[in-house]
Amino acid sequence: MKRSLVLIIFTVLALSVSAQKYMTKNGFISFYSHTPMEDITADNNQVAGIVDISTGELVFQVLIKSFHFERALMEEHFNENYMESEKFPKSSFKGKITNLASLDLKKAGTYDVVAEGQLTMRDVTKPVTVKGTLEVTATGINANAKFKIVPEDYNIAIPGVVREKIAKDLEVTVIMKYSPM
Amino acid sequence: MKPRTKTVLLIVGILFVAGAAAGFYMFNLKAKDLTRVKPDYVITATDLLKAFEGDEVSAAATYVGKTVEVTGEIGAVTPGEESSLNVALKTGSDFSAVICTVPEGAAAGTPEAGKQVTVRGECSGYLMDVLLKNCVIINQ
Repeated sequence: MKRSLVLIIFTVLALSVSAQKYMTKNGFISFYSHTPMEDITADNNQVAGIVDISTGELVFQVLIKSFHFERALMEEHFNENYMESEKFPKSSFKGKITNLASLDLKKAGTYDVVAEGQLTMRDVTKPVTVKGTLEVTATGINANAKFKIVPEDYNIAIPGVVREKIAKDLEVTVIMKYSPM
Repeated sequence: MKPRTKTVLLIVGILFVAGAAAGFYMFNLKAKDLTRVKPDYVITATDLLKAFEGDEVSAAATYVGKTVEVTGEIGAVTPGEESSLNVALKTGSDFSAVICTVPEGAAAGTPEAGKQVTVRGECSGYLMDVLLKNCVIINQ
């Protein structure tokens, strides 16, 4: 009886040590468009994401409607004309950290990482490569990344009248603060 | 110039200026402050989650894009970027909450876990949790 109890405790401990998945529902993704005519930003603080540091797998999911603009009209155009968020409510990224073998993510510290994966928006999936950092702390993992996307790659048609006001490529910023699952 | 032409030109001019002003106003209109907006729906956090878990499509058609006033107990408060706060309301489910993003300055008082609150926000939909953005805490 005692032995089996010890065994159970050890199993639980072993499982919790090997539990290397981290998640958040409060991640942040913003995009930024810069042109000489206008700067536009939209923020989303409701990004769901999971990272598995044993396999390097990364998953993100966002609701398009969760992006918040300073100007109401821009938010409306973004949802209705460009992203058609009623038809395509979600966007996701699935990928893997490619330089995982050279990292020791069990040790606290900040690591440069490269992630490769598939970004899906408006039902269009494209490969993307993202450079960023992973910071391993006592309480969790923080991820930071910046990359660029081209709206036209995802069949987003921007009318000529406003094309000058929206950058050819948008800068995407990702800030995630994961906690152990 | 004939007086009639003059009048026509004047009217066209006024219309043009009014149109430009209206356009400029619309263009610069900020995201709504929901403090004084009448909600489209008033519901508890538990019932709102149930609606999405039961039938996501019909719940989305009902609530997404609408101003929803949600009451519930705060499960967690997580600071976000750009000085915003994510206030998660308990729903009776272990896994899903109603997560309300409150922009900088819109959190009246200090939202804390355990407090009973009413939050008004724009529903963005369902992604493991029901998500509300541009929220104001109207009662705690």
